[in-house]
Amino acid sequence: VVVTRAAAGLRAGSIRRRSVPVGAATGSPLQVTKVDFIGIPSTDFDRSMAFYVDTLGLRRDEHSKTEFWVGAQCYGFWKPEWMNEEIQPSQTTLALHVEDVPAARAELEAKGVEFAGDFDSGVCHMAFFKDPDGNHLMLHNRYKAYEP
Amino acid sequence: VRVETVDFLAIPTRDIERSLRWYTEVLGLERGAEGEVETPNVTISFWNPESDGEEFKPHVGGFALRVADVEEARGELEAKGVAFKGETYDSGVCHMGFLEDPDGNTIILHRRYKPRG
Repeated sequence: VVVTRAAAGLRAGSIRRRSVPVGAATGSPLQVTKVDFIGIPSTDFDRSMAFYVDTLGLRRDEHSKTEFWVGAQCYGFWKPEWMNEEIQPSQTTLALHVEDVPAARAELEAKGVEFAGDFDSGVCHMAFFKDPDGNHLMLHNRYKAYEP
Repeated sequence: VRVETVDFLAIPTRDIERSLRWYTEVLGLERGAEGEVETPNVTISFWNPESDGEEFKPHVGGFALRVADVEEARGELEAKGVAFKGETYDSGVCHMGFLEDPDGNTIILHRRYKPRG
């Protein structure tokens, strides 16, 4: 399992070229410069980390036992009781970019990951699965270029 | 599996058009192509779980938007009528202000003031 580190992405065609900086020159204090992390509810941090790092091949944070990275983007596990909430799986779906959705799906299925289904949107392939807490994930590959 | 990046986040909503308006007009994010919203490093998309036969559940954990100063950004949003959940929290390494989008998904205004590591 090989994970491309740091700011991979921005490959021609399949990945959006993002316009930056968003909100620049507005002078507004509400100028979002980055999404610092995305929260993923977890009832068992060790089990979650094993899934995202060992099964999916993502990069464990050097310092934190509750954070991992995909490229230059950080994700953090949190316990719903921290916010006096019952665990309810997140429907915020991470679209994990892979070059070949069926091949990646087969590799994960061989590791015991169950998929709910797949979908060809006409511009991209998607295959849907969940982490051990039921949080939504998808494998994603856009094969049609964005309009310039 | 070779995952290079997250192409987008699909945020659950019961009303995609309402979400698009709120994320662009209230949060001030840039509208992208094809019903998406852009941040400097993550593309945000929306989906309605009910259209796929799933019960809608808001994302309580949320995601953290970096701003220069949480209190100032909070003041601007409050002036637009956005209600925050509790006081701004100081974790010892960062400031966090918690709010909800129109569907109840948590969003965190975030500024880390202590270096990582």
